[in-house]
Parts: sequence; structure tokens; C-alpha cells
Amino acid sequence: MNAIDPNHVQILAALLFALGLAVAASRRNIFFLLMGVELMLNAVNLSFVGFSRTFAGSGSLVGHLSPLFIIAIAAAEACVGLAIVICIVRNRDSLDSDAYAEMKE
Amino acid sequence: MFPDLNQSLGTIYFGLFAVIALLCGAGLLVARHPIKGAICLIGVMLSLSGLYAILHSPFIAVLQVLVYAGAIMMLLVFVIMVLNQGEDHAVPRFDRSSVLALVLPVLVGALVVATLKRVPLVNDAGATRGTIQRISEAMFTVGPASPGYYLLFEIGGLLLLAALVSAVLLAKRSLDRRAEEPDGTPANGAMPHAHPGHADRGPAVVSLHDQAAAGSTTVTAAGAVDVSTRAH
Repeated sequence: MNAIDPNHVQILAALLFALGLAVAASRRNIFFLLMGVELMLNAVNLSFVGFSRTFAGSGSLVGHLSPLFIIAIAAAEACVGLAIVICIVRNRDSLDSDAYAEMKE
Repeated sequence: MFPDLNQSLGTIYFGLFAVIALLCGAGLLVARHPIKGAICLIGVMLSLSGLYAILHSPFIAVLQVLVYAGAIMMLLVFVIMVLNQGEDHAVPRFDRSSVLALVLPVLVGALVVATLKRVPLVNDAGATRGTIQRISEAMFTVGPASPGYYLLFEIGGLLLLAALVSAVLLAKRSLDRRAEEPDGTPANGAMPHAHPGHADRGPAVVSLHDQAAAGSTTVTAAGAVDVSTRAH
């Protein structure tokens, strides 16, 4: 059998998710926000695939099927997100996320 | 068909891919220019693809390279290059609230890792391998006995179509303005907010006959021309 410990896979997924959250929460460039979200989605995919090895039968198949839908939704999210970025940058001429804070006032 | 890696080799590959993924993730956190960050993210995605392959999920591994590293990151890099205004270095990487924002990820990561250390997860011998055959059997079986994944597949297709249409409508320069031009040339030199009818209307609000009048100019072409004229 495969020697890879499922705990290690889940720990790696958690670390990658934390890195993605750190990127999305602390960076100011708007592209890094999008990339942080992508990294978080990737970490969740890894978690699903890791858990697919710990269940039998159809429970295992769910771990292989869910990443497909997550990838499709990530594609849609990146598509709309980048369109919004193009739109905003055209109006503001800035990639700093603080330039888009006027909704707060 | 899919020979198992032997014990030590599987662990070595896992460690290798895990280290590459974590290093590239850290590189994304500290990268200065978005292009460097995007390349780091591509490194994460490729090493995750290797991890999926050794975790018995070859179809997801292929899809990861095709869709994530291929399509999504290509789109992201393309937009970064189109919108590169030479002042990306002017945007600071972090500010004072970033230090505060770093507390949450550290807390989340520490909590999840501490919990996982207490949970005994073991590999199940009956786990299926995520081959194309097994996945397509589960996804495209229609009938009373099917698990219903084909419905999710249809909804996913609709979602992608909606995203496509909305992205085009969002990113296109105001479509009605082209119709107003007598000779049909786009007014690239004008800033968007300089046009009186544009600022209050917003680019998202367009009607269908405007779209027909706008011709076949693509989003990226309009954006590229826009940026190049502004740089002068």
C-alpha cells in the first residue's frame, strides 16, 4: 500500500490554506488578493483528494469528484474577478486595493 | 496499469512536492511584482498536480495542469501584463494593518494542525482510484439509481456560461459610445470618466442592441490599446 500518511496531506493542505489566507488578507496589490483566493481553493482541493484515500467506495469517489466542480467554479471566479479588476483599474488607474475603499465612506 | 510507488519512494516524492509547494506559497506571500507571484502560484499548482498523481487521483492531476496551471493562470498572467502600468512597484507590499491580518492565518493554521495531530486518519483499503473511468461512471450515470452528479455538471456548465457573458459585459469599454462615433473609430484617447454619459451609467449597464453595434473588438484588445495610450 501507499506509504503516504493522510495526516501529512491534511497538514500540508492546512498550511497552504493558511498561506493563501495570509496572502489574501495582508497584501495590498489587487492581483495578489485574487491569487490568494486561488491558493486557498487549491488547498481545499488537496484536502478533498487526501480524504478520498481514507474512505471506501462511494465516499472515496466524492473526494475525487468535488475537486472537479471546485476547479470549474474557480475558473468562473477568476474570469469574473479579472473582468472586475480590468473595470476598476480603468476607472481608478491604480492596483492598490486601498484606492477602492470609497464604498466604506 | 498504475503501479504503486514503493514505500520510501512515495514518501520522498511527497516530501519533495510538499516542500516545493510550501516554498512557492511563501514566495507568493513576499513577491514584489504580480508576475513573480503568478509564477510562484504556477509552481504551487504544478507540485499539487504531482501530489494528486501520487495520491491515486490521476484525472484530477491532469485537470490541475490543464485548467489551473494552463487556463486560469494564463488568463491571470495575461491580464497582469495588459494592465502593467509600470507603477506596480509603487504599491507597497504590506502596510501596518497587514501585521494584524497575519494573525488570523497563523491562528487558523495552528488550530487545524493541532487538531489533525489528535485525529487518527488511516488509509482505507477499499478506497477507489480516481481514474477517468470511475469518475465518468459516477458523473454521467442518468436514471433513478444515479447519484445525481450529472445535474451538478449541467449547473456547472450554466455557471461557466454566465461567467463568460458577465466577464465580457464587465470588461468591455462602454459599448454605446462606439455607436455614437460617426466613423466608428473607438475613442481610445479619452479617459472613461471624461465622457459625460459614462460616469453615471457605468460599464456594467449595457443593452443588447449596443452589444450588436459594438462590432467584434475583443476585451483584451480594447484594454491593451487603452493602457498603451495612457502610458504616453
